[in-house]
Amino acid sequence: MPEERLWKFRKPEWMNSATARSAGVYSAGALFSLAFFIMVDAAVWSHSAKNGSDPPIHINFVDWLPLIFSSLGMLIINSIEKTRLSADSFSYSGNGVAWKARVVLFLGFASLAGGMAGGVTVLVLKYIVPETVWPTLSMGVSNVAANGLVMLSSVVLWISQNMEDEYSYNLAL
Amino acid sequence: MTAGLKTIISLSFVLAIGFLLVILSCALFKQYLPLLVVATYVLAPLPNWVCGRCANPDDFVESSSNAVVDFGRFCTGFLVLMGVALPALLAHSELIRWAAALMSITGGALIYGTIIAFGMFFQEEEE
Repeated sequence: MPEERLWKFRKPEWMNSATARSAGVYSAGALFSLAFFIMVDAAVWSHSAKNGSDPPIHINFVDWLPLIFSSLGMLIINSIEKTRLSADSFSYSGNGVAWKARVVLFLGFASLAGGMAGGVTVLVLKYIVPETVWPTLSMGVSNVAANGLVMLSSVVLWISQNMEDEYSYNLAL
Repeated sequence: MTAGLKTIISLSFVLAIGFLLVILSCALFKQYLPLLVVATYVLAPLPNWVCGRCANPDDFVESSSNAVVDFGRFCTGFLVLMGVALPALLAHSELIRWAAALMSITGGALIYGTIIAFGMFFQEEEE
């Protein structure tokens, strides 16, 4: 559909191959795993003997909350059927399916961005304002890093799922 | 036939070396947490296989079957990185030593490489 193209730069050819698509999905899983284990690492470290902070600062449920929201947002975003989003010109998806999809997608993105903001909030309020020093501060930094990685993972998954649509479109022709 | 036999023998050697490294990393320091890596890497190709069976390969156009395959790939990617992240996590909190973590990561990578190579080998055999 070259007439309906919006952007100046066209997608590179290699992005439409099945290998690039599956590699994208694998790396999205790996990135999400990295995010999760950075957070688990901070939690395990905070309860191990190496955490010598005084007064003691531990990871508790408040630190996990941003990651939970980010993961929920990622789940929502990637559960949406992508073809319904651009379907307002087609007649078969009437009755506001595209609008419903956009509302749900907005909730997902809000949850993802809220998770990122929550990570920064925890870093500032729990670690920077009480002026903690580095090994304790790393728990807050890892919180922000984990949320950023979840965001990156959902971006990679989104892009590779869009690749899939192009690929199946080429197959169908 | 002899080429296939050579592949099997070398793969089994690599598998044995991988298990040796992982078990050594546990037994040398009397700390048996790195054995979790073996469980992770054995579990890693499982979601891919299960979801590959679930998906119907006949309809390319319907993307709902591809979603199942993608979910399996996502889980596999998660588990593969978990095999690297788990020993590093344990070593960072000094539950195990860094030497043990390095040995278990190397051993786990060898085990997982063997599993993947075996899968590819048999796939080529079928076609």
